[in-house]
Amino acid sequence: MTVLVTGFAGGLAREVARALRRAGREVVGVDYRPIPQLEGDLEGVETHRAQYHKTAIDDVFRRRRYEAVLHLGRVGNLSERMQKRFDLNVMGTRRLFASAKSYGVRRLVVLSTFHVYGASPANHTPISEEDPLRAGPDFPEIADAIQLDAMATQWAFQHPEVGLAVLRPTNVVGAAIDNTMSRLLRRERVPKLLGFNPMTQFIHARDLAEAIVAAMNGTERGVFNVAGATAIPWDTAIDIVGARRLPVPGSIAMAAVRAFSTFPAYLVNFLKYPCVITDGAFRKAFGWRPALDMRATLEDVRRTRRVEEGSSASGSESAPQRTS
Amino acid sequence: MGIFEQALRRASVSPEVEEAVDAAPNRVNEFGYDPWGFSPSFAKIGYTIAKRTLLPWFRPEVHGIEHVPSGRVLLIANHSGQLPFDGVVIALVMMLHGKPPRAIRAMVERAFPSMPFVNEVMMRGGAVLGDPVNCRNLLEDDQAILVFPEGARGGGKLWKNRYQLQAFGRGFMRLALQTKTPIVPVSVVGGEESIISVYNAKRLAKLLGMPYVPISPLLPVLGPLALAPMPVKFHVRFGAPLHFEGPPDDEDTRIDDKVERVKDAIRAQIATDRATRKGIFR
Repeated sequence: MTVLVTGFAGGLAREVARALRRAGREVVGVDYRPIPQLEGDLEGVETHRAQYHKTAIDDVFRRRRYEAVLHLGRVGNLSERMQKRFDLNVMGTRRLFASAKSYGVRRLVVLSTFHVYGASPANHTPISEEDPLRAGPDFPEIADAIQLDAMATQWAFQHPEVGLAVLRPTNVVGAAIDNTMSRLLRRERVPKLLGFNPMTQFIHARDLAEAIVAAMNGTERGVFNVAGATAIPWDTAIDIVGARRLPVPGSIAMAAVRAFSTFPAYLVNFLKYPCVITDGAFRKAFGWRPALDMRATLEDVRRTRRVEEGSSASGSESAPQRTS
Repeated sequence: MGIFEQALRRASVSPEVEEAVDAAPNRVNEFGYDPWGFSPSFAKIGYTIAKRTLLPWFRPEVHGIEHVPSGRVLLIANHSGQLPFDGVVIALVMMLHGKPPRAIRAMVERAFPSMPFVNEVMMRGGAVLGDPVNCRNLLEDDQAILVFPEGARGGGKLWKNRYQLQAFGRGFMRLALQTKTPIVPVSVVGGEESIISVYNAKRLAKLLGMPYVPISPLLPVLGPLALAPMPVKFHVRFGAPLHFEGPPDDEDTRIDDKVERVKDAIRAQIATDRATRKGIFR
């Protein structure tokens, strides 16, 4: 049986592909970005380059029959233009859904993010799937992510013949991951907002990969948080990865980020206010639990810190997975 | 917080504080934090400091603490004093005199989580944002929850309104009905005279993102010290637990009737202690 995985240029998709192959599944990968040379346990995986909202993606479906589609290719990288993100995330996801339905795909897993909840002083703990998506009013620039999430959730109930599960994972980290959070934790000095130290969660890419495979093998439809091991203060996370703290006054942080950096402004709030999610529903539905505890999860980031400082992520390095 | 904690780790933690914090049911993880950011080791230090500074200052007299049942309970109190010393004193009293000693969780005003430093100290000490989901989770863990249903209306109370209960929210009553939690009315006498405010500088408060900014008549004489609490004597009285029954999603007016019974109990307790105290300071 064959599984189509989007976002294949990224570290998470390849982690998932490894897990699938270990379980004896055949994998086809697709990405709108160039997919780097696949080696080792991923050698020989069929890959395609196609924009999710263009006709090229239909070809990927015409060529083979897929039992399941894992849509991990949400573009979280805010350096892509708003219009391009909207095209890929909203229009592209619609097109994928339509193809999956017309070609008889039985199971769809869509990777959203817990960022849609937003970090807010009004957040209670823990946040469950029924809670409002607060990120939008403060940060309209992630409207595409919120629309993708809402569209997928709605679709899950409109098209019960395709079993669709939407996952909202917390911060994804790991040696193979190069998203904004991982890059932040690999800096020599990691920013912390003065007077704020919110409880934060992290999930290792390997644990999330297993969660995605579990969701694929399951039958429950709907939207699910995926939280990982436990919540710790941001300062503790900085300590575990072995970085030094860079205290930044909260009052200027947002203005500075908006003016001078590519760091997404909506993530500043995640260094300030809690957004602790519960994945009780996911664990119950799919019988999954993280294999790594919080220390082991972050120590994997610690191991890649030196490497990052030595060589810039380019050249022979595999293309980054940027899920913001 | 690192330096703060290290400097104070040497200061010995009071045994009652130690016992109360350790006995509190909690979901503390292997890093020493619960999901809300409560840190028992920080709370022990914080409460030990509070015990050594606030108890000699306010000399609270405690009545009726035997009324507080074990297990889940909502402590509903009058709120006053500009700064939440009344909350800290109730927490201390529950730790030092409770049978058994208990570490309470206070539901705090929505403005606090956005205040730098203040939010961290409060959360580490066990306070949580006053929100129905937070409250229900903690009650289901059989914790003791402190709620000031007057909220900022009570905290920022002006001198002319002292000991007049402001409007109560209904949330605590709905949660009590939903989780079958007994309500213990708590009155604090003394707090309402600790910091005098005759005017709430609303515009300044809005500018600073605070719920209120008190203006003290002593400001011209004492300067910023006018915002320090006076050494008034606190009287903390716990009433007999009230048990309510009914649908938690009842009409507002019917919930209000139940809330009014709690307010009546608190009013009566306030009247008792105001009548019997010898003066504001002793």
